[in-house]
Amino acid sequence: MSKPIPLLDKIGEEGRVWNDLREEYGVENPDPPWRVTLESTCEALNEGACVLPSLARRDEEDDLVNELYSHIPHPERQLLALAHSMIIRGIMTEEDLAHHIKVVEKRLNAA
Amino acid sequence: MSNSDNHDHDHTAAPMVEEISDFEVLEVAVRELCIEKGIFTQDDHNQWTEYMHTLGPLPAGRLVAKAWLDDDYKQLCIDDPVKASLEVGVDWVNSMPSKFGTPSDYCNPRILVDEPKVKHVVVCTLCSCYPRPILGQSPEWYRTPNYRRRMVRWPRQVLSEFGLQLPEDVEIRVADSNQKTRYVVMPTRPEGTDGWSEDQLAEIVTRDCLIGVAMPRADRKVDDKRHVHKAIHPYGH
Amino acid sequence: MIKSHHVEKATGVGDPQCFKGEAGAAKFKVGDRVRIRNLPDIFYTRSQMYLREAEAVVVKLVYESPPAEDEAWDNTDSPEWFYSLLFKQTDLWPDYPQKFSGDTLETELSERWLEAV
Repeated sequence: MSKPIPLLDKIGEEGRVWNDLREEYGVENPDPPWRVTLESTCEALNEGACVLPSLARRDEEDDLVNELYSHIPHPERQLLALAHSMIIRGIMTEEDLAHHIKVVEKRLNAA
Repeated sequence: MSNSDNHDHDHTAAPMVEEISDFEVLEVAVRELCIEKGIFTQDDHNQWTEYMHTLGPLPAGRLVAKAWLDDDYKQLCIDDPVKASLEVGVDWVNSMPSKFGTPSDYCNPRILVDEPKVKHVVVCTLCSCYPRPILGQSPEWYRTPNYRRRMVRWPRQVLSEFGLQLPEDVEIRVADSNQKTRYVVMPTRPEGTDGWSEDQLAEIVTRDCLIGVAMPRADRKVDDKRHVHKAIHPYGH
Repeated sequence: MIKSHHVEKATGVGDPQCFKGEAGAAKFKVGDRVRIRNLPDIFYTRSQMYLREAEAVVVKLVYESPPAEDEAWDNTDSPEWFYSLLFKQTDLWPDYPQKFSGDTLETELSERWLEAV
């Protein structure tokens, strides 16, 4: 049984999913713009320092989605599962991620 | 952002999502941390993104349309799918900067040719491998354990949930792509398409037809919307 | 930075094409009946549990490649022949309806997983 990660739970609860956003703004694209870059991250991880090989990541994604993120649509659930995998494998800490999220938020909202 | 003001001048801009969601921020943050920690470089990531943007299901649809119209090309699809793919603009070997295929897709496409009494359908039970170079990104339902675990075990049940019911005397052949081969289904040409051009035929060979969960119809150019069903049968066996 | 143990060999050629000729003579041919061995999985396998001990017919010799079990550890020294195998669904699942006894499943395994019947 996977332990929840509060930072990710919060994003899951409070974050606005693409399905809602596109309905509100009347956008046709079925996928958020970050879907492709998320896929690229998964691929680059597979090739890179081998810290998270593909089959292991997919198995973990299945389990995490099933146990913790099943109420969240795709691709948001894939993103949360990936972040979760990275934290439990020690690739980044929850604090690292929380800090960097603030940095990115500030930057993207200033633009 | 008032579209209605611009209506008379015909300057209506395409709608855009104006806000930045927490998920969008998370995706950037995860990616940038990976780069900061040296797990991959920005360049690596860009190369992937550029490549991903080139992918879609159109080449595979065209491959099938060509095969329907040309028996020699159909034979090429069976004998040398890499060469057949080149003719629809897909290079399984050299497309990626690696010049030997992608680590997830490899270079061994295989075209599964349906017959009146044999219907193929593709799944990857282990992790949802998919012929991306010629078919683009996999749909969400293809990646779910729900589909992956049930398609090998209860194919007729799952296919009927997709709206496809086949008679008892048709062999349903499930292809589980567990190794380096990536499968594309070549369905049988439907009725009502006599005299059609390659373009017209390609339009009705949708992604779901190429996975094998739908059969092409003269009156359908777009896949039906899918809901992800909860499993009726339990996981595990 | 693309990690790979066989970059020079595979560049411009493709994977699994780059292993062509390295597996030696194939033990099985098209039409042979085989049984899937229930080998112990140490850490990693791409041989599905649901296939173990089932019988199948070889329908195609698909390519030569290091088996996934070796490749996961960067061991590409001993490529094997890979076979596409056809199973009857009624052989794989005890409760598969008999009226659909024509239904089949096709999947690939490397030579080490197969024994003659």
